[in-house]
Amino acid sequence: MATLCRVRHRWKRIKCAHVLTRSLTGKFDYDLVVIGGGSGGLACSKEAAQFGQRVAVLDYVEPSAKGTKWGLGGTCVNVGCIPKKLMHQAALLGTAVKDAKKYGWQISGPVCHDWATMAEAVQNHVRSLNWGHRVQLQDKKVKYLNMKGSLVDEHTVKGLTKAGKETILTAKNIVIATGGRPKYPTNIPGAIEYGLTSDDIFWLKKSPGKTLVVGASYVALECAGFLTGIGLDTTVMIRSIALRGFDQQMAGLVTDYMEAYGTKFVRKCVPKRVEKLSSGALQVTWSDINTGSEHKDTFDSVLWAVGRAPETKALGLDKLGVKLNKETGKIVLGADESTSVPNIFAFGDIGEGRPELTPTAIKAGKLLAQRLAGHSTQLMNYDNVATTVFTPLEYGCVGLSEEEAERRHGKDGIEIYHAFYKPLEFTVPERDASQCYLKVVCERGGDQKILGLHFTGPNAGEVTQGFSLGFQCGATYSHLLQTVGIHPTCAEELTKVNITKRSGLDATVTGC
Amino acid sequence: MLFKRICRLLPYPSVSVSLALPRKQLFSSFRSSSRHALIRRSMASDPTATETTRFDFLVIGGGSGGLAGARRASELGASTAVIESHKLGGTCVNVGCVPKKVMWNAAVHAEYLHDHSDYGFDVENFRFSWETLKSKRDAYVSHLNRIYRNNLDKAKIQTIHGHARFTSDPEPTVEVNGRKYTAPHILIATGGQPSVLSESEVPGANLGITSDGFFELETLPKRSVIVGAGYIAVELAGILCTLGSKTSLIIRQSGVLRNFDSLISTNCTKELQNAGVDLWKNSQVRSVRKTDRGLEVTLATKDPEKKNEEDKIRTIEEVDCLLWAIGRHPNTSGLNIGEMGVDTDEKGHIIVDEFQNTSRPGIYAVGDVCGRALLTPVAIAAGRKLAHRLFEGKKDSKLDYSCIPTVVFSHPPIGTVGLTEEEAIKSRGKENVKIYRTSFTPMYHAITSRKSQCVMKLVCEGKEEKVVGLHMQGLGCDEMLQGFSVAIKMGATKADFDKTVAIHPTSSEEFVTMR
Repeated sequence: MATLCRVRHRWKRIKCAHVLTRSLTGKFDYDLVVIGGGSGGLACSKEAAQFGQRVAVLDYVEPSAKGTKWGLGGTCVNVGCIPKKLMHQAALLGTAVKDAKKYGWQISGPVCHDWATMAEAVQNHVRSLNWGHRVQLQDKKVKYLNMKGSLVDEHTVKGLTKAGKETILTAKNIVIATGGRPKYPTNIPGAIEYGLTSDDIFWLKKSPGKTLVVGASYVALECAGFLTGIGLDTTVMIRSIALRGFDQQMAGLVTDYMEAYGTKFVRKCVPKRVEKLSSGALQVTWSDINTGSEHKDTFDSVLWAVGRAPETKALGLDKLGVKLNKETGKIVLGADESTSVPNIFAFGDIGEGRPELTPTAIKAGKLLAQRLAGHSTQLMNYDNVATTVFTPLEYGCVGLSEEEAERRHGKDGIEIYHAFYKPLEFTVPERDASQCYLKVVCERGGDQKILGLHFTGPNAGEVTQGFSLGFQCGATYSHLLQTVGIHPTCAEELTKVNITKRSGLDATVTGC
Repeated sequence: MLFKRICRLLPYPSVSVSLALPRKQLFSSFRSSSRHALIRRSMASDPTATETTRFDFLVIGGGSGGLAGARRASELGASTAVIESHKLGGTCVNVGCVPKKVMWNAAVHAEYLHDHSDYGFDVENFRFSWETLKSKRDAYVSHLNRIYRNNLDKAKIQTIHGHARFTSDPEPTVEVNGRKYTAPHILIATGGQPSVLSESEVPGANLGITSDGFFELETLPKRSVIVGAGYIAVELAGILCTLGSKTSLIIRQSGVLRNFDSLISTNCTKELQNAGVDLWKNSQVRSVRKTDRGLEVTLATKDPEKKNEEDKIRTIEEVDCLLWAIGRHPNTSGLNIGEMGVDTDEKGHIIVDEFQNTSRPGIYAVGDVCGRALLTPVAIAAGRKLAHRLFEGKKDSKLDYSCIPTVVFSHPPIGTVGLTEEEAIKSRGKENVKIYRTSFTPMYHAITSRKSQCVMKLVCEGKEEKVVGLHMQGLGCDEMLQGFSVAIKMGATKADFDKTVAIHPTSSEEFVTMR
C-alpha cells in the first residue's frame, strides 16, 4: 500500500454535504459505524467522513491460535499483501545475487540470509503503517475504537474492549467489513497445536526453517515462493490443483517455475497428522490420494494455507437475521452491498462472491460511503478486476481464464494469441525462461474483443495494471497491435503477440 | 523465391567503395576493423560488375526497420534483398537498446547489492568485473546477429554485404561493391549515428568517444565525463556512475531531458545528482587535452543570472572516458540521394509523408534516417506497415505516430507517452488542461536505507478529461508504461482510470487511484 508511505491532504475539497446530513441523522450517535478496520473499512469510514458524516470505526484483532497479534489496518497491512510483497522482494533479491554474479559482480563468500533482519524490517514497516492509519483516522475525524464490535439491532452496535468494558453506539447505518482469517484443517491431529498460518508467518522472530506449506492457493504458493527464495527448504503439499479459479495453463507455469527454483512439490497428497518429536522437529505423516500409501518427513514448521473463513461468528448476525451463505458462511449481498437487513451493509472478504482483494474492498468501501452520504449512486463494478500472484515468477491477469472463456463462448468462439518470450534480463545470467509466457484470449469474430489477458514474468504486477485499464476500456486485439512497443521491455511482448494457439505454430519469440 | 533478371550490361568500373566513403561509416553506426577487409574480400570474388539484379523490394540498411520491412515483404511474396555494410540488427541490437539495457541491468544489480543487507542478505564484499559483463554482452549480441541472419535466410531474403550508393541510372538503382541492384520499391532504412564535435569547434574533441565507443570499452573507466542532456547522456551517465565510475555530466543548461515534461526533467536531474553523478550545469567543453594521466577536459561555465560575468573556466583531470552524447544524425551522406531527388531537411533527415514516401516515387524511408521518433519499435512498425501497403495492396497501411510510449533507462527509469503538460497547455489552453500528479516512496524502499521516489503525472484535456499524456519516473516504470499506452491510445479518460480496480501492492496502481 504505497499510499501510506506518504502523508497526503487531498481530501479537503469536499465539505458541502456536511450540514445537510447532520440534521437528518441527529438522533443517532453516528451517521456510520464501521466494524472492521481493514483496507475496506478504513477506506469506507474515511470517505464517509470526507462528506461530513460522523463516523466511528471499531477494530479488534483476535490473536491467532499461535497468539500472534497486530495493529490497525487489517489483513492487507499486517498479515497479507504488504509483508507478503516485502518478503517476496527479499526472495527476488536472493535470485538477483545469483544473477549479479553473471553480470560481472564478484561477491566473496557464500550469501546467507538472516530471517531476523528481514522480519524486523518488515514488521517495523507494518507498525509504521498501523500508526499511519491511526493518524489518518484522527486527521479525518473518524472515531477509532479498539473494540470488538457486534450488532445489537439495525441501528446499534455493541463494542467490547479487551478488558471487557462495553460501549453502545447507535448509527444510522452500519457497515460490516471484518474480512476473513486463515482456516485450520479439521480432523488432523496436531494441526492447530503445531501448525502456523499466514497470520503468524510474517511475525515470526526466528526463521521457520524447513517448512511444509499445505495448500495450493495463491497464499500457499506465495509463502512457499518467498521461503524458497530466502534459502529455506520448502515443500508444498497439494491435494488437487494449484491456483484453483485461475487459468490452469498459467498455474502450471507458475508451479513449474517454482519447482525449477527449488520449491519441492508433493502432489495428490493429504496430511494425516502432525507430531512433535523429542528433538523439537515436527513429523508430518501424509497419504497419497491415489495409492493410499503413507509417507513421513520432518519439518521445522508447518504452514496451513488451506483457505480462509469469514469473520462472522462474533458479530451476532443470526440474531438480526442477516442472511448468510450456508456453505461459505459469508454475508449475502446486493449490488449496493446491502445485507438482508435494512441499514446494515457489508463488503470486502466477508461478502459472498466478492473477490478477496484489497483494492476491490477499498473501492467498494469508498463507493458505499459515497452512496450512503447521498453523494453518488455509482455501484461497484466487480468485473474486470485485475490481480497478480506474487510467486517467484509473478503472474498477472485480468478477465477470463482460457477455460472460462471456452465455457462461455465455445472453443470455436475464441481466438488465443500467445507467446513464450525471454526477458532480456534473463539472457546474461543464462536463466531458463520456459515459463515466461503470455496469452491474450479474444473473441474470435468481430473486433476480437479481449476476454482475458495473462502474463507471467518479472514485474507482472506492474505490467498488468495498464493493460487492465485498456481491458476496462474494451480493448480489442488490434488495439494491442496498434500500440507501439517499448523496447526492450517484457511488457512490449503483449503488443507483438501474433501466433494463435489454434495454428499450432511455435510461439517462441525470436529477435527484437 | 527470388527471381533475378539480367537487365543490362554496363561496363562499370570496379571502384573501391571504401575509397568513396567518408571517414565515418555510412550505413550503420558501428566501427569495425574488419569492415574494409570484408568489403575487399567480397569484391575480390566479384571481378566484374556488369549486371543489374532486380528484386521486388530492395532495402538499404539491415537494422530494426529495414529487417522488419524486408521480412514482412518477403512473407507477402515479394522477392527481397537487404543491403547492410556491417552486422545485422543495426543500432538497436549492436550499439543501442539491447547492449544498453544489459548494462542497465548490471547497474540495477549494483543498486540491489546496496539494498541486500536491509532485506536480510549478508552481501558485504563485492566488486564489479566489467570484463565478465562485456564478454557475456558481446556473446548475446552475436547470438542475436546470428538469429537475424537465420531469419533472413529462412525468409529467402538475400543479404548483400556492403555500402549502397544510388547510381545515375534512369530507374532508381543502387550499386554495392560494383554490382547493381534495382527494384520498383526501394526502402532507405540506414538509421543514424552519434554526432561529434569537430576539432575546430572543440580542440581535442576527437579524443572523446560516443555511445558507439561506449560499447567497445574493455574496462570500466575510473573517471568519466559525459557531455549532453538527452536520454543517451542520462542513461550512460547513470550506468557508469552506478557501476562505480566517477562520473561528471556536462549540460548546457540547468536540467536534463528538457523536451520531456517538466516534472520528469526536474526529477531526473535531481535523481542523477542523488545517484552521485557530478552535474555541471550551464557548462560547455572548451577543449580536451591528452596528458600522461588521461584526458584533461576544460569547461566553461556561465551563470545565466549573471550575464555580464565572464565564463568560469575549470578543468577535470585524469579523465579516461570522455563521451559525447550530443545528438544523432542520419546516415545519408554516401547514398547519393540528393541526385535521386530525395529531399532532406536541414539536418539531412529524409523527408517522408505519412506513408513513408520520399519525394522520389518508388523510394521510401523508415526509422531514424527520417529523424522522427528514433525508436526501434517505431521503425519496425513503419517498415511492416509499408510492406503491407506495397505488397498486400493495403492502401491505408501506415503508422500512426501519435501516443508512442518511450522509456528512458535512467536510475530509476522514466516512462512517458503522449503530450507533456507544457505541450497540452500550448495546444489546448491552460483552462482546458487538468493535471493529476502524485509522488511517493515505492514499497520496495519501505525497508531500504537507499531511497528513491516515484513521481507520476497525468495530463488530461477538456471536460471529459481525456488522458493525453502520462509521465512517470520511479522503480518499475519501464514495465508499467506499455499497458497504459494501449489505453491512452484508445482514448481513455480519467474516469476510465478511476473505474479500473487497482492491483495491490504495486506502484502502477497509483495511476488508477489518483485524486
